[in-house]
Amino acid sequence: MEYAASALILIGIFVILATSFNLIIGFGGLMSIAHPIFFALGAYTSGLATTRLGLPIGLAMPMGALVALAASVLLSLPALRVSGDYLVIASIGVQLGMLQIIKNLDWTGGPGGLVNIPPLFASVGWRPAFAYVTLVLVSALAAILLVRWIVSGDYGRAITAMRDDEEAFKALGRNTVSIKIMLFAIGSGLAGYAGGLYAHYFLYVTPEQFEILYSSAMLTMVVVGGLGTIWGPALGAVLLEALPQAVKFLDFPSSVMAPVQGILFTGLVLFFLFAWPQGLVGVRRALHRPEPEEEVDEAGAADGAGAGAR
Amino acid sequence: MYDSTILAQILWTSTATAGFQVLFTIAFAIVLKVNKIWNFTQPALMGIAFYAMYVVVNPLGGPVFAGVAVALVVTGATAYGIERLAFATLRARNSGPIAFFIFTLVFAQFAIYVLTLVFTTEPRFMLQSMIWPMRLVGGVVVSDWDLQAIVITAVLAAALYLFLHFTRPGQFMIAVADNADLAEIYGIDKQAAFRLAMVIAAVFITAAMYIFGARLALFPELTLHVMIFAVAATILGGIGSIFGAAAAAVSISILQQFSVLVVDSRWQPLLVFALLFVAIVFFPEGVRVRRRARADGRASLPAMAGASRAAE
Repeated sequence: MEYAASALILIGIFVILATSFNLIIGFGGLMSIAHPIFFALGAYTSGLATTRLGLPIGLAMPMGALVALAASVLLSLPALRVSGDYLVIASIGVQLGMLQIIKNLDWTGGPGGLVNIPPLFASVGWRPAFAYVTLVLVSALAAILLVRWIVSGDYGRAITAMRDDEEAFKALGRNTVSIKIMLFAIGSGLAGYAGGLYAHYFLYVTPEQFEILYSSAMLTMVVVGGLGTIWGPALGAVLLEALPQAVKFLDFPSSVMAPVQGILFTGLVLFFLFAWPQGLVGVRRALHRPEPEEEVDEAGAADGAGAGAR
Repeated sequence: MYDSTILAQILWTSTATAGFQVLFTIAFAIVLKVNKIWNFTQPALMGIAFYAMYVVVNPLGGPVFAGVAVALVVTGATAYGIERLAFATLRARNSGPIAFFIFTLVFAQFAIYVLTLVFTTEPRFMLQSMIWPMRLVGGVVVSDWDLQAIVITAVLAAALYLFLHFTRPGQFMIAVADNADLAEIYGIDKQAAFRLAMVIAAVFITAAMYIFGARLALFPELTLHVMIFAVAATILGGIGSIFGAAAAAVSISILQQFSVLVVDSRWQPLLVFALLFVAIVFFPEGVRVRRRARADGRASLPAMAGASRAAE
């Protein structure tokens, strides 16, 4: 029961991470690799606020999301001011630099990590695992609906137009930087919220849990599910969180397990990138609508940045 | 406050240490200049080069030059394959920057995972002994490794300069870097220039990994961290300026070494990240006095065309 609850919670958390990463990379067309560090900022902020400052968890978790959101704005402002290309460079620097800072500081627990983080539901007498699963899954659904709401309607069309032809969009007098910063901030804020959910269930966080290589797991979920689709990353997260559980049954030693999982993740991305750039959701749609023109259009859009909201 | 010998020692050591950083930076900068790709597959190439040398020298007990030769072939073939099979495919599909970004990054991570599976996360030394003969020159300790690093770097950088400016394939590469479509109209094979740039990058990466591996240990994930230096130097040197990036790499390396006088060693790695942000915020076009490279490239196109037609 505990194992199933943990698996469901991890799946829910990765649905939030993949969905929020998709908002940035798939809908916004923004190249960033720093999603794990915003996840870390949320987890550490919430953990530190409760363990060091004694704040209630209900306040600490939104605080984690806000810190991740604010950090993403600070990162994106200078990078997007000059060129979108610089965001990816800045994001690599932030990912590696911030993690180095977390490792070096004593009050974050250093390389050993932060322990004794209080659980969210232990004090109110609910059956904690069930309550937590419900909270995480509802949060995941809310994240998907939030992204769908953002990319729908007039604003959503503006986002798609900006992503597909930024120069033409600018020529119409629209401000691309503000849209990009907004997408980056919301996506990162959601990752920070997911970090809080993670910290108050697993009750400890270490820098290794947020290494740059975890970005490949998130990228896999987005690309395999369908870049720039609403439900694709969620589907990718469910499938790819279930996959490591299956690999666990192979009973490899821990030194082999992590690289094997990593090879599976990254291998799938490479396979989908070249064989099915439209992702699983795109494949399903292509199977239902085999008209060649539409197939080409979808594949091309996925190649470019994403296939638009579906 | 500080003894002049100590300062001279730091200056010398940082200049020698800059050797492999300069080569990594040139490798990164040339692909960015010619192929117009932020080549985040570089950590994969770095890891492949190092472990190819490691396997030949250690488990197989071969000589170092054989290790370097094998690494050159394997890394060069991988770089060629990346351009031929992946970059060319993505270009043919008119893929956006995001597809290149995902591919380069994920390929690097894929290679790191494969290398971790084979060689584990344990740091590996390429040579049995890391101790190099040393001598005192004016109170400054000069090791054979220092001399080797500086000589290899200087020779390769000079060779690249001569290749780019005084050979037809090199001049074609500059023309493609300046305007690939226009170069193609003039009869230059831009695909060949892209492949050549990747192979040259592989040569520089292998040489850099030899210098690195002759002094330091490596574990697969470290390659990502080492690449950041090259990225920062490329931006500071000015995107499109290969030798400007190399000069920036020397400057950053010297700055990093001198920072031991004022910064705690555990915070030193952050200096590169700080410089990266300074570069992005204040010098997005690089620290440059003049923009000669671009002007030279444009002027050279008609000459390239004539040469290309003559070659045909």
